[in-house]
Amino acid sequence: MRGVLNGLVAETARTTIVDLEAGLEHLSRGTARHVDTLLIVGEPYFKSLETASRSFALARDLGIKRIGMVANKVRTPRDEAAVREFADRHGLVVEGVVPFDDAVQAADEHGAALIDYRPAAPSVAAIRRLADGVLAAGR
Amino acid sequence: MKVAVAGKGGSGKTTIAGTLARVLADRGQRVVAIDDDSNPNLALTVGAGSAVADVPALPRDLLEERADAEGTKRLELSVPAEDFIDRFGVAVRDNLTLLIMGQPHHGGSG
Repeated sequence: MRGVLNGLVAETARTTIVDLEAGLEHLSRGTARHVDTLLIVGEPYFKSLETASRSFALARDLGIKRIGMVANKVRTPRDEAAVREFADRHGLVVEGVVPFDDAVQAADEHGAALIDYRPAAPSVAAIRRLADGVLAAGR
Repeated sequence: MKVAVAGKGGSGKTTIAGTLARVLADRGQRVVAIDDDSNPNLALTVGAGSAVADVPALPRDLLEERADAEGTKRLELSVPAEDFIDRFGVAVRDNLTLLIMGQPHHGGSG
C-alpha cells in the first residue's frame, strides 16, 4: 500500500490530511517529498516529547518542508510552558496547543465525532486555530 | 496542500487529524482524509459514522509500472488519483472524502 499512498499524495489536487501510522519509520521519501506540513502530536510529559523530538529529526532527514509540533492534552499553563521550553531547546516549532478536554472521551464513548458531539469544545476551538495556521502557511 | 499527522498511539493524533479535516472542509477546502494507520479509526473522528461499513476493499492492481522520459521505471497509480478517491473513498460531506488504507481485509499491506 506504500506505493498507493505515495501516488495519491503526489497526484491529488485535493487538500490532503493523512493520519499516519504511529511511527515515521515507514514514511517513504517519495511520500514525504509531497507533504507540505508534518504535524507531530505529543503530550506534555518527557517521554512523549522525546518521541516527538526523534520524529522531528527523522522528518527533517526525509526533507519535509515544514514540521510543527502540536501539544495535546495540555492541562495547565505549566504544561504549556514545559512544551514550549522543550520545543525551543530542540528547535521545534509549536503549531498548536490543544487543551485536555473531557469532550474528547465523551464523544468517543458516544461513538460520535468530537466536532459533532461538542462543536464549541475548547479542544475543537484549538484545532480551528491550528487549521488557520495550516491554511495561512499553505497560501 | 498536503498535511501529514504523526504521533504515538494514545497521543490523540487521530482526533486532531479528523477534526482538522472537518474544519478545513467547513472552510471550503475540498478535502481527502486518508487513514494510513493499521488500527484505523479516523472514520469516527471525521464523523463518517456507520458509512464506513461501505468502504470498498482496495483491489491489488492499483499500481502499474511506467517508464519516464529517461527510461527509469517507476510504479504509478493505474487510475487517476481523483477517480481513485471517488471510487474507493467514502463521501463524509460534500467536500470531504475518507479513504482507509490500513484495513486488514485490504490485504497486501506494507
